[in-house]
Amino acid sequence: MRRQVPLILCFVFGVVMMLTQFSPHSFSQGIYEEVLSWALIISPFMLVLGTVTLIQTHVARIRRRTEHWQYSFIIFAGILLMVVIGIPFGPQHPIFVWLFNNVQVPMDATMFSLLAFFIASAAYRAFRARTFEASLLLVTALIVMLGNVPIGDLFWNTVLSGLPWDNGLSDTKQWILDNPNLSARRGIILGVSLGAISQSIRILLGIERSYLGGGD
Amino acid sequence: MIKITQWIVVCLVLCVSVGIAFSQGLSPPSNVTAVDTPNDDGSSVTIKWDAAPEDSGISGYQILRRIAGGGLEEIGEMLPAGTTTYVDATIEKGNVYAYIVRAVTETEATVDSNETAPTTGTDEWFHTGRIPLFVAMLLFGAAIVWNIYDARSGKEIFVRRIPGLEAVDEAIGRATEMGRSILYVLGLGGVSGPATIASMTILGQVARRTADYETPLRVPCRDPIVMSVVREMVKASYLDEGRPDAYNEENIFYLTSGQFAYAAGVDGMMIREKPAAVFLQGTFYAESLILAETGNSIGAIQIAGTDSEHQLPFLITACDYTLIGEELYAASTYLSREPMLLGSLKGQDWGKVLIFASLVLGVLLELSGVNWITTLLQRVG
Repeated sequence: MRRQVPLILCFVFGVVMMLTQFSPHSFSQGIYEEVLSWALIISPFMLVLGTVTLIQTHVARIRRRTEHWQYSFIIFAGILLMVVIGIPFGPQHPIFVWLFNNVQVPMDATMFSLLAFFIASAAYRAFRARTFEASLLLVTALIVMLGNVPIGDLFWNTVLSGLPWDNGLSDTKQWILDNPNLSARRGIILGVSLGAISQSIRILLGIERSYLGGGD
Repeated sequence: MIKITQWIVVCLVLCVSVGIAFSQGLSPPSNVTAVDTPNDDGSSVTIKWDAAPEDSGISGYQILRRIAGGGLEEIGEMLPAGTTTYVDATIEKGNVYAYIVRAVTETEATVDSNETAPTTGTDEWFHTGRIPLFVAMLLFGAAIVWNIYDARSGKEIFVRRIPGLEAVDEAIGRATEMGRSILYVLGLGGVSGPATIASMTILGQVARRTADYETPLRVPCRDPIVMSVVREMVKASYLDEGRPDAYNEENIFYLTSGQFAYAAGVDGMMIREKPAAVFLQGTFYAESLILAETGNSIGAIQIAGTDSEHQLPFLITACDYTLIGEELYAASTYLSREPMLLGSLKGQDWGKVLIFASLVLGVLLELSGVNWITTLLQRVG
């Protein structure tokens, strides 16, 4: 019974929500909106669950003096500070906004900016022309990169000005993006969509039930 | 005296307006119709009229509406010249409406069309424009269900080798031999995301093996609900393997909901704990390469899988194995080898054959000058 009820609910709601996509009637759209609003109820529980788990994890770290346990105090200080300012004064309070803009945003930006260096290191490994495929990748990447910057076409139109067509690099880049690249992407998207539908049917029919917590 | 003067002014203005209208040959909008907008919940009416000639002098249109028994009222903004359709989405169900389309010139002269027949908005139970999609869904669903139940007969189903999944045992074995942990990252998706569900089912299979080998499995989560589900799943896997004592709930924990804060937290774990194997399975965005490159830098064997096609090049570049798109959804089936699940994979292949056949047929028909299949697909889109 512990398993049957969730499986029945999953099937009923899955089929109903699927059918609402084919019925514009206000009754079916009403059901759709209503069920979506039910899902929103989960959000406050999620917040409480997340906070409690975070506190439990870091209390355990401090109690056991695990490696770098001192940093857990910073977590508690951060939580406490934002709660003390945020709950009584609201998220529009200047101090709350200042903390967000001057602590959270720069730290996020720092992590994001690391991407530039990681792209460079990954590209270096990927573009080493050791095999035919890697060489092909290297040539294609060079065309796309040069086609994306003005100096690419400047080079093409001045140094290779004898060639019969202008802006060859940006045109070739666009052709690569619009044809082989887009075809491959659409192939992947089709596969992903079919896979997602197939998985949804397995879940609706109760064949795949590992998300309920393992085996039978 | 004042009233008489006002009347003379009004008459003069009217005469001038009508005179200008007639001098420019301004004709009223023709063939004006108002019908219930198809395939909606009865909340709108569509008004259509014929396009005026380019030299008609019309600079725009104003729609007027009459609720049964009431007066005329202007609705919406002035529509530009060349407009031939207007959808009135401000109607109330149950009321009956009639419309007039007023043509306006640059000199503010106006001429009204005939009033349309009364109409009202009606709720539609079925979206007729989605019939092809509905039929395709039924066909595809039927193919999957038929193959699932056909697989129960015990027929051998061939599944092509997926290197990324073959390497799962190798990765876990390596971690066990090195005495290090396994890091499983579920990505940024919520519990309702198909990729997250696929990732969780793979995690269930991985947990069975780590339970056998007693290898620590660490799962930092970005969503507390995902964390709760994952704890239950991993616990059940350990129970199924008869190793409930080896399960440690603290290894599956909530890290943070912030995208880059999560990336920073996971990166920190990689650098400090140096796991021997890293699984990146689920939905990823810009943080994918940050995670994968850090994993690469610590020398971990990395198995990635995502449905985010924009992140695939990054993961392919930085990871040892990558499950591309549909392989992620096939993974749980592949690892568990349950016949019914394998049947669904076969049904999925039937869907691919159907799409491929439609593509080939569409190309051939287009080349022959027949474009009904293209039109059909565009309608569905």
